[in-house]
Amino acid sequence: MVTGFNVLPLECISKIISFTSPLEACRSSAVSLIFRSAADSDSVWEKFLPSDYKNILSRSVSSVDFSSKKELYFRLCDDPILIDDGYMSFALDKLSGRKCYTLGARRLSIAWGGSTSNWTWPSVPESRFGEVAHLEEVCWLQIDGKVDTRMLSPETTYIAKFIFKFAEGSMGFDYQPVDVVVKFVGGGRSGVGTGKVQTAYLDPDSRKNAQFGRLRNTGLFQRTLRLSTSIRPPIPIRLPQQMLDLEGQFPEERGDGWLEVQMGEFYIGKGEDGEVQMSLLEVKGGHWKSGLNVQGIELRPKETKIPNK
Amino acid sequence: MASSSSSLPSPSSSSSSSSSKKLVLRSSDEKHFEVDEAVALQSEMIKQMVEDGFGGDVIPLLNVSSNILSKVIDYCKKHVDFDSKKKMDDRRRWDAEYIDVGVDELYHLIMAANYRNIKGLLDLTCQKVADTIKGKKPKQIRIIFNIKNDVTPEGEQKIRKEHSWAFE
Repeated sequence: MVTGFNVLPLECISKIISFTSPLEACRSSAVSLIFRSAADSDSVWEKFLPSDYKNILSRSVSSVDFSSKKELYFRLCDDPILIDDGYMSFALDKLSGRKCYTLGARRLSIAWGGSTSNWTWPSVPESRFGEVAHLEEVCWLQIDGKVDTRMLSPETTYIAKFIFKFAEGSMGFDYQPVDVVVKFVGGGRSGVGTGKVQTAYLDPDSRKNAQFGRLRNTGLFQRTLRLSTSIRPPIPIRLPQQMLDLEGQFPEERGDGWLEVQMGEFYIGKGEDGEVQMSLLEVKGGHWKSGLNVQGIELRPKETKIPNK
Repeated sequence: MASSSSSLPSPSSSSSSSSSKKLVLRSSDEKHFEVDEAVALQSEMIKQMVEDGFGGDVIPLLNVSSNILSKVIDYCKKHVDFDSKKKMDDRRRWDAEYIDVGVDELYHLIMAANYRNIKGLLDLTCQKVADTIKGKKPKQIRIIFNIKNDVTPEGEQKIRKEHSWAFE
């Protein structure tokens, strides 16, 4: 006769569930009443929370209230908390429990960021941070962010995303891509895709523009219209091949009013000690650029499944 | 498996001086097992008894049958051996083969590991159950592990609603 597992001691069932994942824990709470007690227990959710969660909570700008570890876990998944004087936000990836951070614009190093004729620091309601960086105008656009690898979840591939949007009357980004790169400070490491400079387009219409062969805000567009008025329908403009086959990263809507573009990815091993730098650079065009609002750089795990140990 | 075989030297007997000392364990069905002290001390419960000055000849294990006890001793013996060699790959391979057992045996091994407080074996057995649970629906978990459903339909509905993301 097979013995039912529901007569195992509660601490054994808790141990079993703590070896699964947050998703399996929630699912197994429907198995039986004792599974439910085990699946809700603090000992299980303590395992799913990052080992340094107490340190992170102590850096929160406002107190985080919770009555159980499970409640805390979902609180951190659903609603990022502001830490480190409000310059950084922290959240958990719901499926894996891995750490996600956003470095606010104030936590980044922005070339000419201290000069009000180049960059200003307004508050915008759609930002989770107190201030965003607003580009008045620069030729030399350079934004760097750095993180200590020990603050990230181990054995995880992270993706770095640049979070931004355009203000009214922005200029200089229509066809001018930027360079993005993610690398370990001091080189040495040769992780996945690290150190490789990639092209990123910030203008959400850049792909569409190329596909439809349209140019916006440029003399070329106006000139071509004049040339083609005598013929109907107008002859499609032939753009250089490099503009039609745009390679690189394109921005995507985030659903929170902001755009994001991938800067690169990197792998954090076990007990990794060092620094990762994310950079965005546009100095090739040499023209004036303006109207970019920067929320920050987000770091989130690439795989959202928990690793099989 | 029983005490008569104990005169054979165990492979680890030369590795430490304490291993020459023997302890006798008695299963719930009155079978006696003579083991090296180092093997018996893999169990935190027995370690505590010895440290507290347990003076008897035989340590009774009231909840553990002889077939489960001999399997548990296999584990402890092997792991005393592994601890002195530190070969992680060998250990993993051996553990994987060791734990390839049916649900009933798995249940009794968990109970024995929990009762005798053998951390390594408890982790190994619980991990095995966890790996089996992964990706299964509550109903499938109940069938595999012979668990009576004592959640009311309303209760289950509530859990599904509360954690709808996990049931999609």
